[in-house]
Amino acid sequence: MFKNDERYWDINLLNKWFAVSSIIFLAVTVWVFVDDNDDEFKTYQKEFRKMQIKIAETKLVQDSTEIASDRIIYEKELAIAQENFDDRKEDLDLLEKELRTLKNRHYNENMLYQGQKAQIDALKFLVEADNAHGASHGPSHLDDYNTALDKLDNLRLIREGTEIEISEKEQIIKQIKSQVKAKKDDLDVFTKKYTLTKNTLEKIDREKMTIGNQIGDIVRDLPILDFLDPYYKVHQIVVADVKYDVNFAAVPTVDRCTSCHLGIDNPDFSDAPQPYTTHPNLELYLTSSSPHPINNFGCTSCHAGKSRGTSFVSSGHTPNTPEDKERWKEEYDWKKDHHWLTPMLPTRYTQASCFNCHSNTSDLAGAEKLNFGLSLVDKAGCNGCHHNEDWPTQAKSGPNLKKVNEKLSEDWVAKWVKNPRHFRYNTRMPAIFEQPNQETEEVTEYNNAEIAGITEYLFNGKDKKSGSNSKRFVGDIASGEKLFNAIGCTGCHVSENNPELAPHVDSYYNLTKVQGPNLIGMGSKVSAEWLYEWLMDPQAYMPETKMPNLRLEPQQAKDLTAYLIKDKNKPFDDLPDHKYSKEVLDQLTVNWLKKSNPEKYAIQKASKMDELEKLNFVGEKSIRHYGCFGCHNIDGFDDAKPIGVEITEEGSKPVGKFDFGLFHDIEHTTHAWIENKLRTPRIYDRGKESEHLDLLKMPNFYFSEEEIEAITTAVLSFNANKIGEKLLAHKKAPDIYKKGHRLVKQYNCQGCHLIENRGGQLVDQIGKPEYGPPNLHTEGRKANPDWLLSFLNNPSIIRPNLQAKMPSFHQISDEDWDAIIAYFQHMASEKVHYRSEHQFDTESTEFAAGQTLHEIGQCNSCHFYGEEFPTGDAPTWAPNLAMTKERLNPDWVHEWLKNPQEIMPGTKMPAPYLPDEAVLSAKGAINDWGSDLIKLNGDTTKMLNGLRDYLWNIEGSNNIDDLVKTYFDKNGYDFESSDGDDDYDDDDDWDDEDEDEDDDW
Amino acid sequence: MLDAFKNSVDYLSNPTISFSLLTVLTPLLFPPTDWFDKINRKLRLHLLWTKTGCAISMAVITFFFAVGFLDENFSVILTKADNFPIILMFYSIFFCTWLAMHKAYINDERLEKGLKPSEYNDPDDKVLVWPDLVYIEFIALILFTVFLVVWSILVAAPLEEPANPASTPNPSKAPWYFLGLQEMLVYYDPWIAGILLPIFCVVGLMAIPYMDINKKGDGYYSFKERRVGIFIFMYGWIVLWLFLIVLGTFFRGPNWNFYGPFEYWDAHKVVALNNINLSEYFWVKLLGTGLPDNILLREFVGFIVVGIYLFITPVLLAKTVLKDMVKSYGLVRFGALMTFGLVMLSLPIKMYFRWIFDLKYFVAIPEYFFNI
Repeated sequence: MFKNDERYWDINLLNKWFAVSSIIFLAVTVWVFVDDNDDEFKTYQKEFRKMQIKIAETKLVQDSTEIASDRIIYEKELAIAQENFDDRKEDLDLLEKELRTLKNRHYNENMLYQGQKAQIDALKFLVEADNAHGASHGPSHLDDYNTALDKLDNLRLIREGTEIEISEKEQIIKQIKSQVKAKKDDLDVFTKKYTLTKNTLEKIDREKMTIGNQIGDIVRDLPILDFLDPYYKVHQIVVADVKYDVNFAAVPTVDRCTSCHLGIDNPDFSDAPQPYTTHPNLELYLTSSSPHPINNFGCTSCHAGKSRGTSFVSSGHTPNTPEDKERWKEEYDWKKDHHWLTPMLPTRYTQASCFNCHSNTSDLAGAEKLNFGLSLVDKAGCNGCHHNEDWPTQAKSGPNLKKVNEKLSEDWVAKWVKNPRHFRYNTRMPAIFEQPNQETEEVTEYNNAEIAGITEYLFNGKDKKSGSNSKRFVGDIASGEKLFNAIGCTGCHVSENNPELAPHVDSYYNLTKVQGPNLIGMGSKVSAEWLYEWLMDPQAYMPETKMPNLRLEPQQAKDLTAYLIKDKNKPFDDLPDHKYSKEVLDQLTVNWLKKSNPEKYAIQKASKMDELEKLNFVGEKSIRHYGCFGCHNIDGFDDAKPIGVEITEEGSKPVGKFDFGLFHDIEHTTHAWIENKLRTPRIYDRGKESEHLDLLKMPNFYFSEEEIEAITTAVLSFNANKIGEKLLAHKKAPDIYKKGHRLVKQYNCQGCHLIENRGGQLVDQIGKPEYGPPNLHTEGRKANPDWLLSFLNNPSIIRPNLQAKMPSFHQISDEDWDAIIAYFQHMASEKVHYRSEHQFDTESTEFAAGQTLHEIGQCNSCHFYGEEFPTGDAPTWAPNLAMTKERLNPDWVHEWLKNPQEIMPGTKMPAPYLPDEAVLSAKGAINDWGSDLIKLNGDTTKMLNGLRDYLWNIEGSNNIDDLVKTYFDKNGYDFESSDGDDDYDDDDDWDDEDEDEDDDW
Repeated sequence: MLDAFKNSVDYLSNPTISFSLLTVLTPLLFPPTDWFDKINRKLRLHLLWTKTGCAISMAVITFFFAVGFLDENFSVILTKADNFPIILMFYSIFFCTWLAMHKAYINDERLEKGLKPSEYNDPDDKVLVWPDLVYIEFIALILFTVFLVVWSILVAAPLEEPANPASTPNPSKAPWYFLGLQEMLVYYDPWIAGILLPIFCVVGLMAIPYMDINKKGDGYYSFKERRVGIFIFMYGWIVLWLFLIVLGTFFRGPNWNFYGPFEYWDAHKVVALNNINLSEYFWVKLLGTGLPDNILLREFVGFIVVGIYLFITPVLLAKTVLKDMVKSYGLVRFGALMTFGLVMLSLPIKMYFRWIFDLKYFVAIPEYFFNI
């Protein structure tokens, strides 16, 4: 039997153990709760609450001082009203008592009525059943039904009578109370702001709460109970249109950033430290009135990072600088999350995200770095080797080499290929050779053979013409220089021997200055004959060139040739001729043959080739190997596939897929990899033992740090992010817009013109906007598209006072012009593409008034009227008004006349003077203004319409090119020397000039 | 000095060396025969089971980890939350083994002197299930829960992001308790390493009570009376299971290459894997011909080798050295014991064939996913 007192262990000892362990267990349990509720974001929220209280208190003090003085007045009025009201207190009491009785009576009457209604419904059923099936079941119910109906009517009338009485009584009571209420409302409205602040403060400041609320405020955040309505909680925004890919299932992004970034959309916190501070650009982001409200876009759609993270480290913050990184490590124990594929973009690369939804433009307002990067991707020809679906290449970025024999010598080409920077320090041609991974003697020798091969391949089977430098092609150097600076060459080219003075390419603006090559050392490169012919007709040498035809006169072309060719590059000329070793060439030939042949056959095949064949063979292989055809059109490579990796989604490539090489000095992030690749393209070969043909081969572009940052931004922007259709801004514009935009960039229109507020560096060189190529703001709405197309195909003078001229882009097809015009129209929000002829009545008062205004305004002092010259001097000359009806959109002309400065800042066109009503009704007005104007009675719309209609009635020749040219041939630009900025050149022919149509006026 | 220590540890941890060392050391530590016992005494290895031995061993383990924590490469591995249990395992396994062996040695001495084991000494030393045992267990339960809770608070669970097929970790490691299995995959086809061997482990463990006809050592610790059994178990448990876990945890890095604990995990490391099959040895190297097209013909040497190993060896043993054992065990028990023993032994055998002869498979029929 079990004996209760049988023990073999000291039960007291066990009890003690039990007691101690239980206490420890309890303590640990408490610790669990503390640990579980001690979230990082709560610390921030508590701190933020304190800041909110402080700000609210300051505001409250401000508000109360603001209203302090006037408040007394309101309160006094209220007191008076209250007094009046108190006097009638007895009446009111009586009325309210009566009302009470009435309401009680009404309650009873209503009950009776509803009861009767129910009876009737029941009777109605019986009657209707009788009607349908015959009254076979006993007495008819119809009589009962009718009696009941009468009773119901009676009850209703009684009830309505009481209702009327009630409403009358209530009306009286309301009236008695109305004055007090009105005054009280006034006071409330006046103190509304103050009251709101006060309420807020009472909600957040525990000290200002009632005791009940204080307890509630504590209880709501207690563990377990805090599932109901805690104050400190995770704030999150579910962004339905931005998806995150979890194993092929796209789930909406859930952004919890605002759990700590609590003041992000509150302008009150602009001076607060992180994480409380306000977003730096609330106009563009977060607020509901901005284009990117926080509820639609969230945070990580732009910044990336781990959206569900609720602590500093788990949300995937990425430091922007090494200093930040060190500081974060110290303050937050920060470390990189290796398992999250999309860490936050460092702040300098945030613009990369703009491209997610704005993939059709590189002129996006506020995304200058991205714009610059995308432009550089085009300019440097990245897409020639790296296919990109979303930002495809528009054209090869280097010149066509199919006729290189007509232009260059083999020796020059070989030296150039070896190192283009020996000839031109800032060339866009990247260096393929003489790079860090090619420094061994073996590789250098191979490279020399490759260079010889490439050169041979380019010239193989072609006449080696060396153009003449005969005087027939060389004119006057001084005139050439003037012309170079005046006619518009500098819209795309510089000619600068000093690297210090050359444009530093750190922005899109400066990039437009070097659209074409820096024209130095031309005497060492090309012959006068070639250059002359090139200048006269660039498309004859290279049909797809970006260089337009400036419609030069032969003498002008000679002068320019003389100017450009005089500069020679002596050090380059003095470089020894390119040499290579025949043995190395043999070996290289065999090496290439070995790739597709057994070594025995490779050697056999190679032994059957003569040296020229070998060079040619190695040249072809090398061009394919190094991808020269990515930027140049070369015979035999018309269908060659790009040699680089596709970069359509490069920004989303997991960082583990990048080869960082053997060294550990580069941070393992996508952006650091790209930066270093751009800075030193062969860097990841360091320490590797690769065969010559296995070396990394991306050429070195010698990008500036600004360029590297911009291109990295662009590459990061090429990603696989999943954004819903609704948010995609580029879906809202037709595809043709993107095409037109890209063409405008391709031909560097912004080198001369200001478009979308970007570019126009030629105008800045000239100085005054009125002497430079026009600003193309509103161009799409301004110009009649038919006229615009004919002008672009065949430019003629619009602005006779310009020396720079709009060149002819004969290489642009009608289809592309259509895209460009569509782009302009989209920019100007122009929806109407075809317009019927503008109708007006020449007999109308408006028209007559317009004529008067026109005379008063003396339009003819600047403007041509067909072949009729302006009365003013040549510097002030303005477009031919006879062109107006064909050229411009009548609605736009109205807008323009109203305020020319708004459309084209800096224009010399004044707004016409429009007399107002007071002037017109003054004494003697009829003499000054004429009866027609007075009849319009100061209606500016009608006046401007009249003026516009008058312009439409001006007849005359549309083309005044010859007239203007003859004039300047004879008189010269007499204003040239008087104003350095204007920089006129008298031997310029001035035939058309001025670029695409456009403004003037 | 410290570098020399680290380098030698790195060198010694190479599986070929460390595994061989342990294989040699196990019979010395747990001598199954008098001969081993003599060496054990000569080397004074039995002192390991004294209290001083325990203290020194604990100090050595701790020193190893301390150096590891201070080393930039090893600390990365040691401080992973996943690997915390392995560190604990070093201590707990050693302590439990030590405790058992310590008590066993005391008993052995007593038995030699004709005394009863120490467990028999005190007739009053008994425990009641209720309340004593249940109470003690309950207290232990509470304290262990406290330990688990504190652990979970201090070291966050190593949970990662949802698995992403586009970005797999390198190395991809199984949970720590499966790392031994993962290590076996290096040497055996998945169906053997992942299915057959684990089944044999489990069934073998279950079979132990039915195989063990040694009546001695019931209810008390003793080494001498059961030294063969203990040796076999310890070799399987410590060398073929725990050591493989340690190997997988600390010494396997990117691409499942071997890295010494103090070595940097360079993902670029490449190891030549030129393993060849027995059939290739036979037909190509020995006979100088090509492989026959007939699969069975091609692999017949492998089948014969495996057949001899599994079926002829037990017969030979039964007729020679283990004649007595067959008699006392009976044929069925002997057969089962041989099967389990030979399967267990096949792992180190295969490992050595791999290391010494670069042998990939004895029988290689990839056409039907059948490789041994």
